[in-house]
Amino acid sequence: MLFFILDLLTLGAINAIMAVGLNLQYGQAGILNFTYYTFIAIGAYIAAVTTLGKPTLTGGVYQYILQWRLPWPLALLLAGVVAALLGLVVVLVVIRRLRSDYLAIVTVSIGFIIWNVITNYIPLFNGSNGLFSVPYILNGATVSTTQYTVEVMVVSLVVLAGCIWVARAIFRSPYGRVLRAIREDDVVAASFGKSTTASRVWVFVIGCFMGGLAGAMLVFYISAWNPAGFLPQESFILMAAIVIGGPGNYWGAVLGTFVFIEFLSEIERYLPNVGNGAVVGAGRAILIGIFLIAVVRYRPEGLIPERWLRWYKVKGPQPGEPPGGEQLTPGGGSGRRRFLGWATSRVKG
Amino acid sequence: MLEVDDIEFAYGGSKAVDGCSFVVADGQVTGLIGPNGAGKSTLLEIIAGGLAPSRGRLVFNGVEIQGMSRAQVAQQGIIRTFQTTRELTRLPVLENVVFAAPNQMGENVLASLFWRRRWASQEAQLRARAEELLAWVGLTRLREEPAGTLSGGQRRLLEIARALMAEPKLLLLDEPSAGVYPAVRHLIAQRIREVVGRGITVLVVAHNMAFLSEVADDVVVMAEGRVLRRGPLEEVRADQAVVAAYLGGGHVGGTS
Amino acid sequence: MNLFAEAVGFGLVTAAVIALAAVGLSLQVSVTNFVNFAYGDFMTFGAYVAYAANAAGLNFFPAVLVGAAGTGLLGVGANLIVFRPLMRRKSRTLVLLICTVGLSFIVQNVIVLIWGTNSVHYTVTIGNALHIGPFLFTPGDLILIGVAFGLLALLHLFLQYTRFGTALRATSNNSDLAQACGIDTGRVINWTWAISGIFCAVAGVGLALETNTLRPALGFNELFVVFGAIILGGIGRIYGAMLGALIIGILTEVSGMFADPAYKGAIAFAVVVLVLLIRPQGLLPSRGRSA
Repeated sequence: MLFFILDLLTLGAINAIMAVGLNLQYGQAGILNFTYYTFIAIGAYIAAVTTLGKPTLTGGVYQYILQWRLPWPLALLLAGVVAALLGLVVVLVVIRRLRSDYLAIVTVSIGFIIWNVITNYIPLFNGSNGLFSVPYILNGATVSTTQYTVEVMVVSLVVLAGCIWVARAIFRSPYGRVLRAIREDDVVAASFGKSTTASRVWVFVIGCFMGGLAGAMLVFYISAWNPAGFLPQESFILMAAIVIGGPGNYWGAVLGTFVFIEFLSEIERYLPNVGNGAVVGAGRAILIGIFLIAVVRYRPEGLIPERWLRWYKVKGPQPGEPPGGEQLTPGGGSGRRRFLGWATSRVKG
Repeated sequence: MLEVDDIEFAYGGSKAVDGCSFVVADGQVTGLIGPNGAGKSTLLEIIAGGLAPSRGRLVFNGVEIQGMSRAQVAQQGIIRTFQTTRELTRLPVLENVVFAAPNQMGENVLASLFWRRRWASQEAQLRARAEELLAWVGLTRLREEPAGTLSGGQRRLLEIARALMAEPKLLLLDEPSAGVYPAVRHLIAQRIREVVGRGITVLVVAHNMAFLSEVADDVVVMAEGRVLRRGPLEEVRADQAVVAAYLGGGHVGGTS
Repeated sequence: MNLFAEAVGFGLVTAAVIALAAVGLSLQVSVTNFVNFAYGDFMTFGAYVAYAANAAGLNFFPAVLVGAAGTGLLGVGANLIVFRPLMRRKSRTLVLLICTVGLSFIVQNVIVLIWGTNSVHYTVTIGNALHIGPFLFTPGDLILIGVAFGLLALLHLFLQYTRFGTALRATSNNSDLAQACGIDTGRVINWTWAISGIFCAVAGVGLALETNTLRPALGFNELFVVFGAIILGGIGRIYGAMLGALIIGILTEVSGMFADPAYKGAIAFAVVVLVLLIRPQGLLPSRGRSA
């Protein structure tokens, strides 16, 4: 029982990292990236092949690139960087058509293609056979499974905290405001001189970086990885989880992911086997589909809505402020002073 | 000052703008009128950078701006409003205004993550200024409401406040009084005159004659894609050619 | 040279299936203005319904008709229950697109629940390959190409020469204006979903025959190829979709001559990406609408 809870929490933390990354792209910037799982997978593979040494099985059955035996923190960082670079390539391809339909279609297709190449091109990542025996992080080789789970959980939580810090900082900044504006109406944003493409490229790349980190943590936890674990469908499911949880809010994304991706998957293990094995998985997908349509129809802001107002909250009403006037002195009335004081103290943090 | 020089815009087989030339003088409100289909909105869109002309030049304060993108045009100091208001519907009114300010130090990624101290005071100043602008158009008590919940007239006022937040040198107003009550229309006209008083140049597309007579110093009449007449509103309105152009495809504005 | 001709021949067969699918999707996108991400699963659905009818005793061709009708109904049903209320509310394209993703989950997994994940087959024989000129076709291939050609020709005639076809083109061009002219856009949209469903089902059956497997993920995995055809032709442009399908079909097969056939899809899509970089609006000349 204890192990189940720890396992749930660890995977929960890792899934939360993915959620925050995708939420940055979709929730804050409105970029419909239907192949987010590709970046998670790339991160996972890079982490694996940079920590693995030479393949122990000979005879060309087990091949992959790099084989560097790096220490895991470096591998983790590299995973994020490579995922970010791939993200840069992808976003530059679609940059001239960032309209939502095109973006969705092209990202889906890119995901399929990459999956196709990875599965078939054996020398890259050992194709559909996958990779295994990925080295444990920290002192994992010498401790019990439970303790290793705790260690991975702690590391994941640290990474998650970092990602949330980034997401939050962006949200509560003029940059986040530009992203929101672009998301709502990019013509208007451009009409006020904002550089729409540069802003979106950055946020996309950062989101992919986080995906790469999540993938790396996943492979460190499971010690193995296989293309079957990142089917193109997974990106759709992740997106669905975020939309249901609340795209405008990274906590919503975390919640959505936790409930729909993780919890439901784990529950699968404990339910009796009904019919053929795929039934429970199918049931879960149908449930997600129904929830998705229902949320979009009846509660489009998701379970946890966006809350930018907190950043703008003014303490105390300000009726009858004298109109016009050029002074910006921070003393034009007690309400205004409090507002300015609050604003400056908030943004300093 | 803006110089429109022989601008042509052709698509399909027709020319929406066909050799249009005029000058918008500094520090004035220039009205742009004409029957439907005259090409006014297309011309405005071309000036604002949304469309590239097939021929001709646009010179703003010595810089050639034809073919520039919307963002580049805005960075030159030309700010526009839209024929159907385009507010950022789900965002609060205050955010709608603050967002429009140019040269915000916190607007790039690195600044948002690492150098918060640098832009914090600018942010506070911008918010104060936005609050003043909202008060100036009378929208203060709605500052936290999502912009989409505003009425038509309030949205027009919001667009004007937002445009001013951007510190424009030239304001392009696309039918800023369309679909509003006479009282609000009068308020908008007043505010535009105040704006000009601060040295901002205005080019306004409008149909309503009452509004134009309140607001415009000078009027350019377009028909069939080119300039027909130019001059004070009363003169132009009585001109035979102008009346004929309107009768051909409409009437010379009403009072509603 | 022979090998090349044969590859082109195979490409024609592939193109036939993709064309049917792409045209069906283009038709729907052009009228409703959002992309149906469940389209691949609609294809699978059509193929499975045909299979069910076939397995229940119907001959192959009538079974395909049943599949087509079933998918048409699915499309109309989805429109009435899910999309129309949202379109009435003027929801953004993004919202509708996400709805289609939810629909995709539901359709694909209902198929899994009913028919399982194993591969199933139709009771029809493809016949042996014959040499026809420089090409190598089976009778099944020829029928497929013929059916595709026939359906596309019928669609063309329908769109250009019937009143309803004109109403459809008007709605796809500017639905508010069409409505103002008295066209019942609601009916047009329903019929568009029905026609799109028919094309999609036939494409699904064709795909199942071509790959000789029918599994729940069949259509979904083919989605990106259909998308590629649509991007090449320009989203929402029906004749562009036909052109795009032809290019992708032939390109895919011909590339199999030079590279490992497993990467056919990747190569075809690399071409699409290239086109996207050079000419994002698709290969056909612009229609000259204002931005």
